[in-house]
Amino acid sequence: MASNATQYNNLTPAQPLDKKTLNKMVWRSLNLQGSFNYERMQAAGWLYSILPGLEKIHGDNEEDLKTSMQHNLEFFNTHPFLVTFVMGIILSLEQQKADINTIRAVRVAAMGPLGGIGDAIFWFTLVPITAGITANMAIQGSIAGPILFLLIFNAVQFGVRFWLMHWSYNLGTKAIELLTSNAKEFTRAASMLGVFIVGALTSNYGGTTVALTIENGESPIVIQSILDGVLPKMIPLAITLGLFFLLKKKGWSPVKCILLLLVIGLVGAFFGIF
Amino acid sequence: MSYSAIQILLVFIVAFIVAIDQFDLLECLYQPIVTGAIIGAILGDLHTGLIVGGTYQLMTIGNMPVGGAQPPNAVIGGIMATVFAISSGLDTTAAVGLAVPFALIGQYMVTILFTVMSPVMSVADKLAEKGDTKGIVRLNYAAMAALGLVFAIVCVAGLLGGAALGETLTAVSEKYSWFMNGLSAAGGMMRFVGFAILLRIMLSNDFWGIYFAGFALATIIGYIPELAGSALILIAFVGAALALYDYQTRCAMKAAGVGSSNGGDEDGI
Repeated sequence: MASNATQYNNLTPAQPLDKKTLNKMVWRSLNLQGSFNYERMQAAGWLYSILPGLEKIHGDNEEDLKTSMQHNLEFFNTHPFLVTFVMGIILSLEQQKADINTIRAVRVAAMGPLGGIGDAIFWFTLVPITAGITANMAIQGSIAGPILFLLIFNAVQFGVRFWLMHWSYNLGTKAIELLTSNAKEFTRAASMLGVFIVGALTSNYGGTTVALTIENGESPIVIQSILDGVLPKMIPLAITLGLFFLLKKKGWSPVKCILLLLVIGLVGAFFGIF
Repeated sequence: MSYSAIQILLVFIVAFIVAIDQFDLLECLYQPIVTGAIIGAILGDLHTGLIVGGTYQLMTIGNMPVGGAQPPNAVIGGIMATVFAISSGLDTTAAVGLAVPFALIGQYMVTILFTVMSPVMSVADKLAEKGDTKGIVRLNYAAMAALGLVFAIVCVAGLLGGAALGETLTAVSEKYSWFMNGLSAAGGMMRFVGFAILLRIMLSNDFWGIYFAGFALATIIGYIPELAGSALILIAFVGAALALYDYQTRCAMKAAGVGSSNGGDEDGI
């Protein structure tokens, strides 16, 4: 569970991260989805990816490292090929020992929009074009097909990963000097954007629907379309707010929430609700 | 067609690696165009492997793992289609048809693993509390190995059991389809726990309106199919405008001395 600290103990900015550490984290970012799961998605893989940087930044203060590790284990999901952009910015904030609420808010605000951009670049453009051409070569029986596919794809992938990491780390380092003068206002604004994005994700990632229909002669009543008539995405919103209530007011642990959803899912599926 | 122990071992290793690769590593080795050629080479028929892999690749181009959705698993699908095309001398379409039950099992494996890994996140929380960096690394590698292992076992089982096993698997999966439905329904809901945890920390009372505004905008854009890809970018533009306006207003207020009574001690970073 996330700790409630809002500031690091040691607020002196750490030494800027060297190129070697940044590059090491680019390699680690390949395994961003190593422990992917339905609750926090890439969270543990995200922490794994930035750990070399965090260890350097908070190397002089064990408590700060623990705090940083804990808040970097919260829900995280972005496009796997563009993640180094978020890593660079967050690491520059960590290095400057920014307010933890600021780091969290920037992380949430940056991870959301990248998904759409990454899908557009990789899944809708790069893969269809290169795979389309090279698949035809393979069908002709040419071994150059798969080899060419791997070469093109990885050249683009690694170019993007390395460039984004260094570019966004420098960007973050430069931007922070502007922001420290109005730190409180910036944290508030970043949190606003973060909450706005989480609200959007609730709808955008929320695919939960019910399959219930009521027999009614030739025109059965479909419950989901009635719900959509009242408020589309009502179920994702209701579940999120319900869980928020359980976590915040009732002090439930995330595991308890997951087990509850598992029971709802299985019982609901047994009776044909989902 | 019988296989040597080395062929079986190589298929196991390839399946293990590409199963992990579908989410990690290079994230391109798992594409049928690559696995078809590799499995073909292992089973002694590179030419067929290339053709099946290329054909399967063209079939899956419209079937990408966009936005975290889980289509029938192309990793196992590509491997098994190549195996069946070589072992039974079938054309690609027929071989792909025989591979479908395995692709479906692969999809189930992923669903189960992603569900099981959700409560494991509380173990990760404990490791973070202790500052156990090595533990976090181990946890990630263990999860990757688990994914590779289940896929490798299914692929080798398919290699040895052949299409008959596929029929058995289809029968079993139909029998327990309600269970898998329930699991994926629960899996689809678990992300809301992640959101709720973020909100628990980020959502102060004056941000409730912002939360609902984000929800409303995403829902509206969600009804426009043409904007499916760019939805979150557009939403970020609006959110950034709101945040920037708030930032500028508050900075101006601070400069003008409004509410300066509580500003002094919190600015001293």
